[in-house]
Amino acid sequence: MTAVVPMLEIRDLHAQLADGREILQGIDLSVNSGEVHAIMGPNGSGKSTLAAVLAGRDGYEVIAGEVAYLGRDLLAMPAEERAREGLFLAFQYPVELPGVNNMYFLRTAINAQRRHRGEPELDAGQFLRAVRAKLKLLEIDQDLLQRAVNVGFSGGEKKRNEIFQMAMLEPRLAILDETDSGLDIDALKVVAHGVNQQRAPDRAIVMITHYQRLLGYVEPDHVHVLQGGRIVESGDKDLAVELERSGYGLLGDAA
Amino acid sequence: MSTVVDFPVKPEARPYLDAFGSGDPGRRARDPDWLAGHRKRSLARFAELGFPSRRSEAWRYLDLRGLQEAPMLPASAMRVVAGMATRAQLAEVGLSQAAYRLVLVDGRLAPELSAVEGVSPGVWLGGTATAIAERPGLVRSAIEAPALDTARPFAALNAAFFADGFVLDVAPGVELDRPIEIVHLASGETGGSLHTRSLVAVGAGSRASVFETFAGLRSYWRNDVVELRLAAGAELARVALVEEAADALHISEMLAVLGPTSRLASFVMLLGGRTVRHEATVRSEGEATRCALHGAFVLSGRQEANIVTTVDHAAPAGETREVFKGVAAGRAHGAFQGRIAVRPGAQKVDAHQLSRNLVLSPRAAIDTKPELEIYADDVKCSHGAAVGDLDEAALFYLRTRGIGREEARRMLIEAFVREAVELVGSPQLREHLLSRLARRLAMLEE
Amino acid sequence: MTASTDTVQTVRSLSQEGYKYGFVTDIEADEAPPGLNEDTIRFISAKKEEPDWLLEWRLAAFRAWLKMTQPNWAKLHLTPIDYQAATYYSAPKKSTGPKSLDEVDPELLRTYEKLGIPLREREALAGVAVDAVFDSISVATTFKEELAKLGIIFCSMGEAVREHPDLVRRYLGTVVPQNDNFFAALNSAVFSDGSFAYVPAGVRCPMELSTYFRINAAKSGQFERTLLIADAGSYVSYLEGCTAPQRDENQLHAAVVELIAHADAQIKYSTVQNWYPGDAEGRGGIYNFVTKRGACRGARAKISWTQVETGSAITWKYPSCVLEGDHSVGEFYSVAITNNCQQADTGTKMIHIGKDSRSTIVAKGISAGRGQNTYRGLVRVQPRAQGARNHTQCDSLLIGDRCGAHTVPYIEVRNPSARVEHEATTSKIGEDQLFYCRQRGLSPEDAVSLIVNGFCKEVLKELPMEFAVEAQKLLAVSLEGSVG
Repeated sequence: MTAVVPMLEIRDLHAQLADGREILQGIDLSVNSGEVHAIMGPNGSGKSTLAAVLAGRDGYEVIAGEVAYLGRDLLAMPAEERAREGLFLAFQYPVELPGVNNMYFLRTAINAQRRHRGEPELDAGQFLRAVRAKLKLLEIDQDLLQRAVNVGFSGGEKKRNEIFQMAMLEPRLAILDETDSGLDIDALKVVAHGVNQQRAPDRAIVMITHYQRLLGYVEPDHVHVLQGGRIVESGDKDLAVELERSGYGLLGDAA
Repeated sequence: MSTVVDFPVKPEARPYLDAFGSGDPGRRARDPDWLAGHRKRSLARFAELGFPSRRSEAWRYLDLRGLQEAPMLPASAMRVVAGMATRAQLAEVGLSQAAYRLVLVDGRLAPELSAVEGVSPGVWLGGTATAIAERPGLVRSAIEAPALDTARPFAALNAAFFADGFVLDVAPGVELDRPIEIVHLASGETGGSLHTRSLVAVGAGSRASVFETFAGLRSYWRNDVVELRLAAGAELARVALVEEAADALHISEMLAVLGPTSRLASFVMLLGGRTVRHEATVRSEGEATRCALHGAFVLSGRQEANIVTTVDHAAPAGETREVFKGVAAGRAHGAFQGRIAVRPGAQKVDAHQLSRNLVLSPRAAIDTKPELEIYADDVKCSHGAAVGDLDEAALFYLRTRGIGREEARRMLIEAFVREAVELVGSPQLREHLLSRLARRLAMLEE
Repeated sequence: MTASTDTVQTVRSLSQEGYKYGFVTDIEADEAPPGLNEDTIRFISAKKEEPDWLLEWRLAAFRAWLKMTQPNWAKLHLTPIDYQAATYYSAPKKSTGPKSLDEVDPELLRTYEKLGIPLREREALAGVAVDAVFDSISVATTFKEELAKLGIIFCSMGEAVREHPDLVRRYLGTVVPQNDNFFAALNSAVFSDGSFAYVPAGVRCPMELSTYFRINAAKSGQFERTLLIADAGSYVSYLEGCTAPQRDENQLHAAVVELIAHADAQIKYSTVQNWYPGDAEGRGGIYNFVTKRGACRGARAKISWTQVETGSAITWKYPSCVLEGDHSVGEFYSVAITNNCQQADTGTKMIHIGKDSRSTIVAKGISAGRGQNTYRGLVRVQPRAQGARNHTQCDSLLIGDRCGAHTVPYIEVRNPSARVEHEATTSKIGEDQLFYCRQRGLSPEDAVSLIVNGFCKEVLKELPMEFAVEAQKLLAVSLEGSVG
């Protein structure tokens, strides 16, 4: 019987900003296939930094620790390689790409990833069929796709576009960075539905969030609390409910 | 008496050279050595340069032939006590509730018309001649500033011949609650040219506001140079209203140097004068400066006006906003040239410039040339320019409400210019500007 | 419309099939002695067997040129050009080039590969002196016959002077007179060859006219002169240039292009130019000074200029439209890229003379490395241009912090009913944008390419399809090494 290799294994991760401020001060986290984790924390706890460091964004320096992704050294890979290996980040503030057609962008990304994996690229017809199916799932209007990426999209449309891309790219590990921020209840439900549809035994999802709202719709298996750059408590979904009720102060000076 | 120099002199400069040589001995005796030397050097510079021609990019839109053909020598040194006509004009163009008022007539301080008592401690307000005599440390470096040494013939001539001007010096940490009013009047009895050199220095963290009016009678040439120096965190609002006489030539330069986190709000409105040129040069030398350069010109008959601005971002994180509105009726000609330059390393600059213009008659003309010169990449810079006539739909709407054609046009033109005037911070100044504007617009189609 | 695809495919297939006709070379005296004087002009005119009126025309241009001085621009650094040291006429074939591809700069070969240029054409483009690489004559013959059936004339300038002298005489120099500017005067005096096209009234030219299959003959394209005439109600689309980097020992290129559109006629002129930019330090690059002007002579005439320019050590060109006819339309769509040490000073002039004339300008500049990109445009509305309309959009994209982008528009309005609007923006490729693309699996180069293409979209969609594909590849190649 083969040992199960964790999808993501973070060991004592310390990371600082370009100006030397240490934000992540020793993160330990293990995520297995099929699991859904939630990472919660107050502002300034390091949530977005963690997402950025995992995705490989410039401007952060890892000063200690390791991150293994499917047994490989994640930190040694450039951002696009991590993406092609199946790591997806749903941005908190999705950026606009003027003049870059949404469909064209997506197809280029999909085929870049397929090429990397030695899979055949999608032709226009195949791509279109896949798109139509996922569009319905996320209640996205056809003509939103003809527009430039995120240009003129409302906050809710941008977040749905992120989850739509996730559905199209079929990642192994999806990190959702404050996906619920700025969404009204209806948009939240649609986004949650989209995320839930993508739960699978060979996939893992990590939701980074400030509030408990999303977690009511996408039930996590594990909940962790991030404070002062460290995970100070872990539990199951009940921990999230309790945090919502009593606030982060409940943890006192755990940092 | 002809002055002898050892380099080729431009022909149009010769009369000025001679006038200097034979000029006012009284004034020259009063000049400290440093100033006398500066004047000579400046005059030599002017003699070398001569007046700019239309082939010079910054002067392509202005017709200065009159000046080339007939010299307008500096007015004599004799101070004439302000006559009835001048006083009447002061009453008309001055602020109704002047806080502190300094009046210059024919380029010289007129103490009998001025009221500068009660100015806060830490504030020095007076004539430039007085400042040179009593506070040389204050003005010397500004007057000798290298900014004037480059190819600026009018500034050079100004340095050679200025007799007076105004100086406002605000010590650090002082907030002036009311605007300082400066009224530049020309009696029209001197003929020739009037040269004034002024300075506003605002100390670290201080706030001040200056309102200048330029007006006069009959015919003259005013050549004004004012320098604004803002220390770190200083805030200055400067409003200039040009209502020169119908046969006057007005050439003015505003030079501003901004220290870190300082803020300059400048507004200029050109309503009068036959040929008017206003040039503003702002250099942002510190981080995170904020500069607002706004203005408008309203021209008719055969008036000609140029607004030329240069904003030079030499330091990061500066913000510049420019809004200029131009209106040309009759056979008038208005031109706007605005350049925003962002030097290498001046990252995170945010600059936007807007030039909107109305051409109201078949013989009127508008030229606009907004220019961007960008050497840093992490910046947001843009400009917009538009030229057109009044909106037919808007005109029609007013007329369906019973407003006559002429009045409808006036209303829309006023609204057009008002948008720029609304950018002036002080309600008192806004009101004054709007009332002068209304008066000007009533005579527009002539 | 697949006309252009057909054209290019036919051309390519012919070159792969082999050749029945050898390349015709007919050389007696090869070259004019170096230097430029009236004798040089007479020599050139005699070599081409030109009629007297054309010789006189050239001489008048030369005399005007002698009185002019070379212009200077603030932001271009030009090493002085010695006009007396150059040769102004040389026979089409000279074996001074490399003997085979092995002798060609490998960088150049890599570029050909990336641009998808077929093997056989690489030799021609690299200047390898091979006898018969590319048979332009037989290809030209096929198309000429088709066009002739419709009454369309498309041939070289030299041939036009011989076969249709009246037409040439009627129009030559009417849009760009000999004394228009320094380089136009030089060109008028010594122009070597170029294209001539005439489309008769009411005829729509069925294919894109292209200089593509004239690559060989245009080797001496140093002083090209082009004249296109679209008679009333006709349509023609003309493609100039090629994505492959064009090397040339000739440092100076001074071309003149004149377009005339009569009432209801339309001329679409597209250029994709990739002049050899010199090495990374900018040495050996080409100076490209072009005067291009279109006259909308009749009512509702329309002229569109679309260009993608890259390479070239120095580019100075302002394709212009003179909107004489009422309701005439002028358009200018441009992408200019400068990388390494390139300098570009380009833009357009739209002169509104007729009533209700309209012009649209979309200029996109991309600066990378130490490139300097300047847009210089003039929109002038003359007093009689009632109801004239212009909209201008100039956007600059800066990649890296050592390059520069400058926008200098001149707007001069002399009519109250005109509406002129101009907007310009400057931006950079955001770190956020780059990271977003990379997080979706795109490499940094592809990310830049995607964003740059998005930036240029409005212009690229104006290009005929075949050119558009080439242009996109060209953008990617031009910006190599600009990021990271």
